[in-house]
Amino acid sequence: MLSYIVRRLVASFFILLGASFIVYLLIAYSGDPLAEIRSSNSPSKDTQIAVRTEMLHLNVPPVLRYFIWLGGASKCLIGQCDLGVTLQNQPVTAALGQAIPATLQLLTAATLLAIVFGIAIGVVTALRQYSTLDYAVTFMSFLFFSLPVFWVAVLLKEFGAIKFNNFLATATISPGVIVALALVSGVVWAVIVAGTWRRRGITFAVAAVVTALVLVFLSATKWFQTPSLGPVVIAVTGVAIAYGATVLFAGLRNRRALYSALISVGIGLVAYFALQPVLDRTGFWGLIGLLVIALAVAWAIGHFMGGYDRTQSIRAAMLTTFGMSLLIVIDRFMQSWQSYSDNPLVRGRPIPTIGSKIPGLDGDFWITGLDTMTHLILPTISIILISLASYTRYSRASMLEVMGQDYVRTARAKGLSERVVVTRHAFRNALIPLATIVAFDIGGMIGGAVITENVFSFQGMGQLFLTGIKSIDPNPVMGVAIVTGITAVVFNLLADLAYSALDPRVRVKA
Amino acid sequence: MKIRRYGVAVAVAAAGALLFSACSSSDDSPKSTTTGAATAKTGGTITVAEVNAFFSFNSLTANGNTDINSKVSLATQSGFNYVDDKLTLQKDPSFGTYEVVKQDPLTVKYTLSDKAQWSDGTPVSADDLLLAWAVESGWYNDGTTNADGKVTKGTNYFDYAGSTLGLNDTKFPTVSDDKKSITIEYTKPFADWESAYSVQGIPPAHVIWKHAGLANEDAFIKLLQDQPKGDPSKPAKTNATLKKISDYFNTGFDSKTLPSDPSLYLSDGPYIVSAIDQGKSLTLVPNTKYQGDHTAKLDSIVIRTIADPQAQIQALQNGEVDVIAPQANADTLAALDQVPGVQVHKGNQLSYDHIDLNFSGVFKDKNVREAFLKTIPRQAILDAIITPLDSSAKVLNSQLFVPAQEGYADSVANNGSSAYGEPDIDGAKKLLNGATPTVRILYNSDNPNRVDAFTLISQSASKAGFKIKNEGDVNWGSRLGDGSYDASIFGWISSGVGVSGVPQIFGTGQSSNFNGYSNKSADAAMSKLIQTTDKSEQTKLQQEIDKDIFSDAYGLPLFQSIGVDAESSRVGGIDTFNPNQNGVWWNVWEWTVKS
Repeated sequence: MLSYIVRRLVASFFILLGASFIVYLLIAYSGDPLAEIRSSNSPSKDTQIAVRTEMLHLNVPPVLRYFIWLGGASKCLIGQCDLGVTLQNQPVTAALGQAIPATLQLLTAATLLAIVFGIAIGVVTALRQYSTLDYAVTFMSFLFFSLPVFWVAVLLKEFGAIKFNNFLATATISPGVIVALALVSGVVWAVIVAGTWRRRGITFAVAAVVTALVLVFLSATKWFQTPSLGPVVIAVTGVAIAYGATVLFAGLRNRRALYSALISVGIGLVAYFALQPVLDRTGFWGLIGLLVIALAVAWAIGHFMGGYDRTQSIRAAMLTTFGMSLLIVIDRFMQSWQSYSDNPLVRGRPIPTIGSKIPGLDGDFWITGLDTMTHLILPTISIILISLASYTRYSRASMLEVMGQDYVRTARAKGLSERVVVTRHAFRNALIPLATIVAFDIGGMIGGAVITENVFSFQGMGQLFLTGIKSIDPNPVMGVAIVTGITAVVFNLLADLAYSALDPRVRVKA
Repeated sequence: MKIRRYGVAVAVAAAGALLFSACSSSDDSPKSTTTGAATAKTGGTITVAEVNAFFSFNSLTANGNTDINSKVSLATQSGFNYVDDKLTLQKDPSFGTYEVVKQDPLTVKYTLSDKAQWSDGTPVSADDLLLAWAVESGWYNDGTTNADGKVTKGTNYFDYAGSTLGLNDTKFPTVSDDKKSITIEYTKPFADWESAYSVQGIPPAHVIWKHAGLANEDAFIKLLQDQPKGDPSKPAKTNATLKKISDYFNTGFDSKTLPSDPSLYLSDGPYIVSAIDQGKSLTLVPNTKYQGDHTAKLDSIVIRTIADPQAQIQALQNGEVDVIAPQANADTLAALDQVPGVQVHKGNQLSYDHIDLNFSGVFKDKNVREAFLKTIPRQAILDAIITPLDSSAKVLNSQLFVPAQEGYADSVANNGSSAYGEPDIDGAKKLLNGATPTVRILYNSDNPNRVDAFTLISQSASKAGFKIKNEGDVNWGSRLGDGSYDASIFGWISSGVGVSGVPQIFGTGQSSNFNGYSNKSADAAMSKLIQTTDKSEQTKLQQEIDKDIFSDAYGLPLFQSIGVDAESSRVGGIDTFNPNQNGVWWNVWEWTVKS
């Protein structure tokens, strides 16, 4: 195994070397970095040409210039990276140091959400192959997949930000919109719940009426201006999560698991009241600490409620607790919403269209957290919409293949419940091929999303790359290329290793 | 089994439904006051969208001379004068005054006001005035640069983005005893004396000489005094201290972040930089030490970097930014029309497209040049490119003036441009006398406007018998002047102020004279022009040159580019379109928030 990894790494090193050489030449020959100055009538033309020539070693032929660059880059091996400077006289290492976190901030949530939702939707559609839901989801995912991201972004900004912010000024929903949304909601639930036509009809009616009532209530109380959940909603939602978690992990017949989950809801509610003053003063790491404590408590509940299969109870309790924690945090963020929205820098228009934060906004963790989230929401949606499709399709195909395997039939034949067959036998095996894709995508994250970053004015890797290309500035482009190249190579290797670890049939011979 | 299969989905869906409908349950009253109360100042922030990201506190170096750095320096640094939206120089006596004390030789005395001081409390003083002179005159440079841009011998000290013409022909300025004024004596008359010497944008001299290890202002003045004028033919030994000073000037103020050393971003203007979020935003707040007339009226100005024009417009519409200046094209103008409640200012920029003919090859013969120019459909080009943006746009009819300047109308009446009003195919055929010359036209094939212009020109010229060869090239810039083409379509940017730029384009053998134009009488007029200080005399000489250029069938100006800026209705103080590269920033101290 070790020798395999070493062989791969050595090969990767030469691949990177070759790739960097090709990329360097491509940029060097893509245009004339002096074109802009040459064609200008600026009085200091000669000085400008001299300065830039010296900065970029333009008097050296590109092939040799590459080795100047390589000389600086190879110093990274001894910890003194010199990737050159940008045209703005900034070291590329500093530019990368600023761009990588920005890109990760933009893409981490989006990629993780796309993976989770994509796989969930894929599995559900596979379980209900050729149903209306399956066709609808397939249609939608291909539709979103084929939309150009800049266009989606412009529409999202128009409706998700500008129009929504206009709506927030009054926060009242017109009757026509309520009716339309109620009908849409009815159709969606009828498709999701499915069953006989009678059952669909009832679902449609119930969903439509409930949605209409909810919307009327939201409109009347101007909920969108001062949103909150409150203990009752948290309690009801928590109980629903508890049932859902139990169904997933243990089945409702496992009463001990159900009780563990429900106890977690109870403790969560107590914590909701007890923790409010603590939450006011807490920060990000404080929240993480509280979450760890909560999960530990949940583990204990599951462990002591346990019974014959403790793990099921523990899992149900922990998932429920996680859900409760999330609800409490969401509620706390909602409490700060109005003061965020009323901030003179926000001026009642909380959903922004550009950037990663409002410059100069002061506030505690909840205010700055809201600021980050409102800035991330539109780019995240646009990335999810577009990358969701591939995950849905891959996981659906993979799940369908696994469901047709002999061992699934065997599992059914020996009398296992469908829940166990799906979650234990099918789902886990269906995830194996996805490991490769997920590893690639996580590795690709760092390369940035060029178009999304440009439309949403995120100053990340994609933007660094784009401006470098535009001004024929080789150093930042090389910086991005080399970072992206290294992550691609590393995650490629990790994907292969993960595959061999997950799938016993694929074992690397050392 | 069947029903159980749906169990998971139903349970998950139920949880989702409850979460969704959660809001319908009774709520406890939301907290209207929270611990997250904002501490930002109220009522006085204007946010401006800019395309480029700030990267240097010194906008005068060749590298730092980018629009955004200059705009920040306009807010943070004062000068004796500034250029207004009518392209005229306005004085700022609260910073200092200047007067011509003698016409022959031209001698100008600059006196600083007592109010002029840096934000660290140091008064603006003779060291700053001398530094500005040393930088802008290039007095000490004795380096020789080869074709590759390498300095082969001697030393170049200050790396200045502007022209050192004129100020280079001065004596070392005399400094008054109170160090509040200097007197500059020109050895030759110089037309642009008023705009060429500018203190605006010069970094604080005391920070620079302290960095170089000098003890005080006197030591710095003495260093400059003792250093003789550079002579590239007899390069002197490099003065290590001066080199240290100039190196610090050249690169020491480059920073994409707010430096930890506050002396690197001192201000002697109405505002001072208070925060920079690298590449994303820059915040300006009032400079409390500023005592001049351009008092800041806002609590803060935030500059946000937004490269995409559509994103700028939507950010304006969403109230995230208050001022934008996107690149004007049909899309952005149409989008701006849709935005309610904003004021849009449209106008001609100082950049203009033109077609130049080489005075060699096929165009050596003046008749061929004239015939070719007669075929150019300038109105059709304007209609295709500019009219959709601005229905009142007119063809540009002068090589030297833009319509915003005095002297344009008179020049147009006399320069002979009327001969090229509409294409005259018959006239061109007559001049060609049956010949069918081949013309290679160079243009930027990546620029749709240039492609349009090329297409229209080649269609029209073909009718007169010209054979057009398409030399559209993305690397057109490096081909300028290499003789691989006969005509070129590209753009110049007029400086708007001053006349030194004229010989640079039209003078024999000058650096931006790519087509080999040479006219003795125009050369004579130009060398006289740059030594003429009288405004009306300047205009007269320029009109002569304009006429010479047209009668030589040099080429034709085509049109001025359209610029646009838009502001939300809460912004006060931006009332007109400013054509030069400072855009809306020219009067930043007058900006207010309307209540």
